Amino acid sequence: MNAPSFWKSDWLIGLAIGVFVVLLSGTELLQGLERKAYDVGVRLASAEPSAEIAVIAIDDQSIANIGRWPWPRDVHARLIDLLAQSKARVVGNTVFFTEPQFDPAKNAGHADLLKLRERVASPTLAALPEPAAAEIEAIQALVASTEAALNTDRLLASSIRGSGNVVLGMLFQQFDREPLGNPDKPLPDHVARNAVSAAGNAVETPDLPLSGLGPIMPFAEIGAGAAGIGHLNNQLDIDGAVRSDALVVRHYDQYLPSLALLLAARSLNLAPKDIQVEYGKGVRLGRLTIRTDSRMLMQTFWYRGGEGRPAFAPDSFYDVLSGRIPASKYRDKIVIIGPTAAGVGSILVTPIATDMPGVMALAHSVSSILQEHFFVTPWWGAWVRWGAVLLVLLYLTVALPRMTAGVAAGVTAGLFVLVLALHFGLMSARFTWVPLMLPLVLLGVGHLALTTKRFLATERGKARSDGDLAHTNRMLGLGYQGQGQLDIAFDCFRKLPADVSVLELLYNLGLDYERKRQFNKAESVFRYIADFDPKFRDIGERAQRAVQMSNTVIMGSGGSSHPGGSLILGGGAEKPKLGRFEVEKELGKGAMGVVYLGCDPKIGRVVAIKTLALSQEFEGDELVEVKERFFREAQTAGRLAHPNIVTIYDTGEEHDLAYIAMEFVKGSDLVAHTRPGALLPLKTVLGIAARVAEALAYAHRNNVVHRDVKPANIMYEVASDNVKVTDFGIARITDSSRTKTGMVLGTPSYMSPEQLSGHKIDGKSDLFSLGVMLYQLACGQLPFKGETMAQLMFRIANEAPVPIRSIRADVPACLVSVLDVALAKQPAKRFESGDEMAAALRECLKALT
Amino acid sequence: MTDLSTALTMASSTDPGMVRSHNEDCLAIEPGIGLAVLADGMGGYNAGEVASGIAVELIREEVRKALADTDPSRAEASPVLRAERVLREQSTKANASIFQSAQNQPQYAGMGTTLVAVLFSDNQVSVAHIGDSRLYRMRGDCFEQITRDHSMLQEQIDSGMISKEDARHSMNKNLVTRALGVDPEVETEIHSYDVLPGDIYLLCSDGLSDMIPEPEIHSTLETLKANLQLAADQLVQTANDYGGRDNVSVVLVQVNERFSTEDGWMSRFMSWLK
Repeated sequence: MNAPSFWKSDWLIGLAIGVFVVLLSGTELLQGLERKAYDVGVRLASAEPSAEIAVIAIDDQSIANIGRWPWPRDVHARLIDLLAQSKARVVGNTVFFTEPQFDPAKNAGHADLLKLRERVASPTLAALPEPAAAEIEAIQALVASTEAALNTDRLLASSIRGSGNVVLGMLFQQFDREPLGNPDKPLPDHVARNAVSAAGNAVETPDLPLSGLGPIMPFAEIGAGAAGIGHLNNQLDIDGAVRSDALVVRHYDQYLPSLALLLAARSLNLAPKDIQVEYGKGVRLGRLTIRTDSRMLMQTFWYRGGEGRPAFAPDSFYDVLSGRIPASKYRDKIVIIGPTAAGVGSILVTPIATDMPGVMALAHSVSSILQEHFFVTPWWGAWVRWGAVLLVLLYLTVALPRMTAGVAAGVTAGLFVLVLALHFGLMSARFTWVPLMLPLVLLGVGHLALTTKRFLATERGKARSDGDLAHTNRMLGLGYQGQGQLDIAFDCFRKLPADVSVLELLYNLGLDYERKRQFNKAESVFRYIADFDPKFRDIGERAQRAVQMSNTVIMGSGGSSHPGGSLILGGGAEKPKLGRFEVEKELGKGAMGVVYLGCDPKIGRVVAIKTLALSQEFEGDELVEVKERFFREAQTAGRLAHPNIVTIYDTGEEHDLAYIAMEFVKGSDLVAHTRPGALLPLKTVLGIAARVAEALAYAHRNNVVHRDVKPANIMYEVASDNVKVTDFGIARITDSSRTKTGMVLGTPSYMSPEQLSGHKIDGKSDLFSLGVMLYQLACGQLPFKGETMAQLMFRIANEAPVPIRSIRADVPACLVSVLDVALAKQPAKRFESGDEMAAALRECLKALT
Repeated sequence: MTDLSTALTMASSTDPGMVRSHNEDCLAIEPGIGLAVLADGMGGYNAGEVASGIAVELIREEVRKALADTDPSRAEASPVLRAERVLREQSTKANASIFQSAQNQPQYAGMGTTLVAVLFSDNQVSVAHIGDSRLYRMRGDCFEQITRDHSMLQEQIDSGMISKEDARHSMNKNLVTRALGVDPEVETEIHSYDVLPGDIYLLCSDGLSDMIPEPEIHSTLETLKANLQLAADQLVQTANDYGGRDNVSVVLVQVNERFSTEDGWMSRFMSWLK
């Protein structure tokens, strides 16, 4: 089970990248990068070039004026003479004089001239008489002078010998190539004498200087007079650029200095013998110590120069020769002569320029040696480098996987800057080069790879979990919608990517909100859909209508101006819902709420739904308590099943609106029949009262007290003579509560004395109320009346009712006696039960017929 | 809540099979709370997957909430009673949800789903099931069916009308007598059993149990129990090899060690260390 996670673990990937980058470290890619960084470091460092160095350039101007290259060597001789006169300290000439220009072996003219000289010098001619002898002498002189003029080699050789301070260059055809055997021939003496001494220094094999084979040297005539001959080979770096000077080169068992080193030595009046070589470390030149790498390569400092001028401004060869630049300028200077003209001499890539003539590079090298300006890779450089690689590896494998993306990016960037600062700081301040690009690349590549991997992993995980989540949210949403928890459902659907199927779901949700009359919620759902697809079905109209509806319909908490919270019907919206019931129309308004005609869609049963806006009447704890009581009472009443009691089907709560769904009874309540002139026949009244009394008896047996028996709570249908008592226990729900001021629940005309006084009441209280109602239905007047509430209450509690016969004379005696018992002040004196009262009433009814 | 993910290893696999284009099965595993739910939806155009989806997701979500709710006033005498209560409540809720959705949204009319859900607690497993999705248990050499299908076929077997062998070839295999979401009320069958370390529980839809003979399920489990995910995938593959006439879904739960959902100071300390 753990195998895949092992292969995908961050530390393994970090390690793999580490190995990969380290493997790359020897390739040109990384080495080139190191070199580029080195070059930048070189350019950042600054030092003053030696003022003692002057460069005389064989430039295009010189070639244009003097003639095509190569020049006759007397031109060089003239310049050397000139410099000798002006006492230059040492002259380095980088022009190679490897073959004689005057060469009878190759040039038939030269050979003929020599033959001619021999012929005219023959004794036969010398024996000729005058004037022929004079003529011959003249010819001899002419031939000699012609030969002298043509043999420029001799001229140059004598100039070099004469000045005594000219150092010449040589080349190895094969550089950095180990010898396989012994040399074809030993070096000629004029070269060999420049060899530096290795005396007293054991040469360890790994510290051997670079090897050069196949020397191309100045020929003996010129070389013999030179103050020194140094090699001009340049070790090309891995990227083809020149960054160093091979101070000492090995030719078999001889060690030859570079031209730069020789020039520096000569300028300090030191012979090649005085150059002390510490193999693998550097060179001691008088009091100068020049540090090199193990192969005697000095990492040259490249002078930038300043203000647009190069560090070493070359003078034109022609200008010097023609005297335009006074030769005195070169007094005591190290003069380096060499070609800069196009097509002549070598062009080098160096850290500061991509087209530096070899002669200029030489100037930089000489200056580096004399001023001890050079870059050193110290012995600890490798330790630092590989230590840094190790630290970066540790960081990548151990620390990075534990960081968050932001922190990781910050730390990596910080490390990056730190390494760069170390690198360039060391280079510019201490001329010390520690190649740190390897750890830097490892850091960058590793960080990128790991974050990419992490990103890919999380993205894949995310894509997968997005799919999972979408499914989960869709199903949860549907589930909650099914449960009627529309808000949670909306939250779930909102998390889904909005495609057509999701908009479909949302549309249905919006319709559900409409059914529940939550038009503002419906509106926000429709708006949400419209944001994605304004043309989705009839979404525009829906949204608009929802706005209108939410402005006109007040339901629950929004409706302080409509106590009772009216449901507005019609308007084309979905049928409103209370719980599972669809609301068809409004039947009427009660004291505490509206009564609706509703329908249970499951079984098609028509119901009356009574709503009570409890939250508008009560607050806080009281509200909780009242609600509890309401539902308890409704539950109790719901247990009652009696033909003369309205059956309760369901109770519930929606938007702070408590409701009771109950049997829908045709007909109306008895309020209409309580006024004189609209009275029902006495027989009917007695029949109704008897059935109500029986219903009450049933309820009382089930421990339910109605508390509010009055004509408004008795439903009667004339046609079928059907009587139903309604609102058991509910209407007086607020009795014992402190009602808000002004919230008087009608006048207490039907209340029993004990109810008025706030005592605990039982069924006998209901019978008293029934008595009051019966009295009123019989005569059209209330038994107790008062100008004020206080007066009314006093009369109910203390005074006998107005004798009924004083109002309606034809009331039978049996009814009078029933009323007397029913309206007794003491509960004990009333009927024992509703059944007893019903029996008395039926007796009376019989007596009437 | 104790994290059960070390005590229980869970793996699941589901596939539409070779014949059907839609996967109406849905499953969820939550090793951390020891819950696995599998439902096989039915009915209507795409509605089956809605029903099974609602059931699985609601139960997953609500059980997670219910278990996280540590209201002491609702604390039962034992975690097992609590698990049974949670399963019962949530399957009832899911039933109501699916039923209401089917009522309110015509495109979902008539949808329903079977359900088998296991909830592990205190070295016991409580299993709730409705319909013909099954729970099997492999304990040692014994591989047995724990749940009794609520299906016409099972009733026929019980009443002795047909033999168990004939049952495999019966025509009315897919007639379930109980399902979630088709009626306003549903009776969820819930039982709890002791759990031993090494037990492997297999929840599956009828797409698996109808396709593969039980001995072969057993031998596959026995062979591949070292790699539960492989076993689950292999079972689905085998069902497809047999024809894959229905959606195939499998959840495997392996019990690694004894577990208790009572929070001891030790486990609390360990979880604090993590």
